[in-house]
Amino acid sequence: MKTIWEQKWLMLMSVPMLLYVLLFNYYPMWGWRYAFQNLDLNNFKQGADWVGLENFQWLFGRDDFLMSIRNTLAMSVINLVFGTLSSILLAILLNEVRTRAFKRTVQTVTYLPHFLSMVIVVGMAQNMFSSNGVVNSLLLSLGIVDQPVFWLGEGKYFWWLVGIINVWKEVGWNSIIYISTMTSIDPTLYEAAAIDGAGRFKRILHVTLPGIKSTFVVLLIMNIGHLMEAGFELQYLLGNPQVYDNSRTIDVFVMEYGVSNGKFGRAIAAGMFKSCVAIVLLFAANFIAKKLDEDTLI
Amino acid sequence: MRKLFAALLAVVMLFSMVSIAVAEEEPITVTVFRGDPGDQPTSDNKIYKLIEEEFGIKFEIEFLAGDLDETLGTKLIGEDYPDLFDGGNSAEKLINAGALIDLLPYITEEGTPNLYNHIKDIKDDLVDEEGKLYIIPNYGINYNAQIQNYCNGPAFFIQKQVLAWDNYPQIKTLDQYFDLIERFVAANPTDKNGAAYEGFAILCEGWRHFCLINPVQHLMGQVNEGEVFIDRETAAVETFINKDYAKPYYKKLNEMFNKGLISRDTFVMNYDQYIAKLSSGTVVGMFDQTWDFGSATAALETANMYENTFIALPLVYDEHYGFGVIEEQYLNGAVPNKDRGFGISVNCEYPERMINLFENLLSDRWQIILQWGIEGEDYYVENGRMLMTEEQYKNRQDATWKMANMATAIWESAPKKQGTMDDGNAWDPANQGEIYFNLMNEYDKQFLAAYNYQKPADFFNAPCEIAPWGEAWQIDKSPIQDDYDDFLLIQDQWLPKIIMSATEEEFNANWDAFVAEIAPSAAVHDAHMQAEVLKLVNK
Repeated sequence: MKTIWEQKWLMLMSVPMLLYVLLFNYYPMWGWRYAFQNLDLNNFKQGADWVGLENFQWLFGRDDFLMSIRNTLAMSVINLVFGTLSSILLAILLNEVRTRAFKRTVQTVTYLPHFLSMVIVVGMAQNMFSSNGVVNSLLLSLGIVDQPVFWLGEGKYFWWLVGIINVWKEVGWNSIIYISTMTSIDPTLYEAAAIDGAGRFKRILHVTLPGIKSTFVVLLIMNIGHLMEAGFELQYLLGNPQVYDNSRTIDVFVMEYGVSNGKFGRAIAAGMFKSCVAIVLLFAANFIAKKLDEDTLI
Repeated sequence: MRKLFAALLAVVMLFSMVSIAVAEEEPITVTVFRGDPGDQPTSDNKIYKLIEEEFGIKFEIEFLAGDLDETLGTKLIGEDYPDLFDGGNSAEKLINAGALIDLLPYITEEGTPNLYNHIKDIKDDLVDEEGKLYIIPNYGINYNAQIQNYCNGPAFFIQKQVLAWDNYPQIKTLDQYFDLIERFVAANPTDKNGAAYEGFAILCEGWRHFCLINPVQHLMGQVNEGEVFIDRETAAVETFINKDYAKPYYKKLNEMFNKGLISRDTFVMNYDQYIAKLSSGTVVGMFDQTWDFGSATAALETANMYENTFIALPLVYDEHYGFGVIEEQYLNGAVPNKDRGFGISVNCEYPERMINLFENLLSDRWQIILQWGIEGEDYYVENGRMLMTEEQYKNRQDATWKMANMATAIWESAPKKQGTMDDGNAWDPANQGEIYFNLMNEYDKQFLAAYNYQKPADFFNAPCEIAPWGEAWQIDKSPIQDDYDDFLLIQDQWLPKIIMSATEEEFNANWDAFVAEIAPSAAVHDAHMQAEVLKLVNK
């Protein structure tokens, strides 16, 4: 009690944040009740009927919902692996660059796409990957293919397109945190390694990489919590009926079969499922990290 | 500082007392939601000023920003209804949710003669099963003769220069059309800038996929009923896309695809890319509806590429397809735009005044103000004909000018008179013969002259009488939403695959697979549409 009184100003200062979390993170969960009601805007009445697990049964009875779970996980893993590897690689390369001006320029150029709207990125991608776009022209002139590849209309390419576009858009941005971690590595470690006869490559392997290990693990845990969020805009904008089987993520499915149709009950049921899986994934990743005796998040 | 504050307070007090004092004659501010995006009028808009002076009504208009269904959903769940509620293309949701009041009790022959006469003849078609009317149609109620100078709806389109290149032939059938496109592209592989011509484009994105799935009914000589073929005599309804008479059209497209006249990119492009393509003048032809690519036409005209603008053609199957000689019927009579327009919400405190407003705005005097503007400023009268100078007409196309000088937002959703006035002038200035012809560009005048036509609609047969069910695409599918979604998705996925088949065998195999896969949802669709059509016939 006494401590509370002594810290009253600190407590007071945390109230806005607390309110923010309650209002925007916890209060909306009250809406989860709709997952068990047949809330349908086409046939809307205040206080919809309770229908038990009907919405969930509908979802899991549909092949395309199961497919959207598969797509979500697949694209997430691709994004996670390629995104992490590419940003670490870029960070290491930049860290090794001695010319400040060059380093800064590359950094700026690579992180600028992060600020582009997805609509613009998709527009550019559609032009580049169209039948007579840059990519096909290049492949044709190099003789790698003899027919233009139908990148946007064949499902098997979709996940990888998403991976490539995401890497292009986010690599610079994601590498910032690694670069900043690397600059905080004690330079004497490098000097000691050099004296011990370690070349540049050995120094990267034995000094730089262990130096960013904890950052890497923290980011990995956070990203695993987001595995169920492979994105919405990119898939929604780039997808078309030809590739739906591979392009629909859970979010896109929710948009098309829940929100657009006014069947909010289903949309919320799908969202709820997603949140539950995300929580499980988060705890699992945290548990594994703990087992590996690393820094954990929770 | 304190003094100033006190003075301010006093003034505020004074004002609030005054406003209480005149509360009897009170001017009101009406909240309005429009289910379409739009431009906020300026605060000194001359027409809204007139309305305020005469009726004491000011509008606070909210336009759609973002997704319509999402916006309506939020409003419905929060019961946050404006006074005048236009639900755009999802107005059924408002009605089903009980957000709107029944208007019929307010509409009487004595009290509101304009509204009464406006809907008198079609009242039975407009009311729902319980005999209630929630929305008076915003468009489609004609007075005297209906005017159609051009086809605003579905048709096959072709660049005017292509017809000119072939010395203005009469193109009436599917084969003639594609044959012309083929010959034109063979003779002119690229335009004058070196960009390759694309023979035929098909927009497949989202709800605009009617460019892909609707043409067959027209080739069979039917008006636009959406996705069903309806026997005009017996009102028997059937889905046409999986029938044998649909196959030849997609076979033709398949041939065109394999000849390289249809690009496969057409199946993955979105609406913006489509409009960009049409605007570049490299697309020779397409099936679409005129209103759907208005921005491309405008862009072509702005760039003085009149020869690249499109003319609508009513095509049918050739006789050799085995469906007999088909007479085209693309143009339909006016369809009252059922359940589209303003409803009055249950939250509105003064429904009588709203009805009165609509009643008065429907008078001839106000209809002229809303559609034509102010005499002397926006139009002039010569020998009883209402006319506009070129500048006056150009003003009407100028979005900025409209924001200050027209009450577009209210007019578009309110009940209105269309067709012809009793004195023979057109209600819509754009339909007024003299204005339409005088303002047509020189290229179009010369183009029509070559055909000996007066207006683009002369390519078409006269509009037919509207069927008792209106146009069947208007029928609400939300009761079979899940099946209907499947029904559309199967078409979206299979038809491009069918068109892109490499061989005859592959085409047939794809077609058979498509017919088999769509059968269950098509059956649900058939049953629903048949029941709804019969309901409308027997009303």
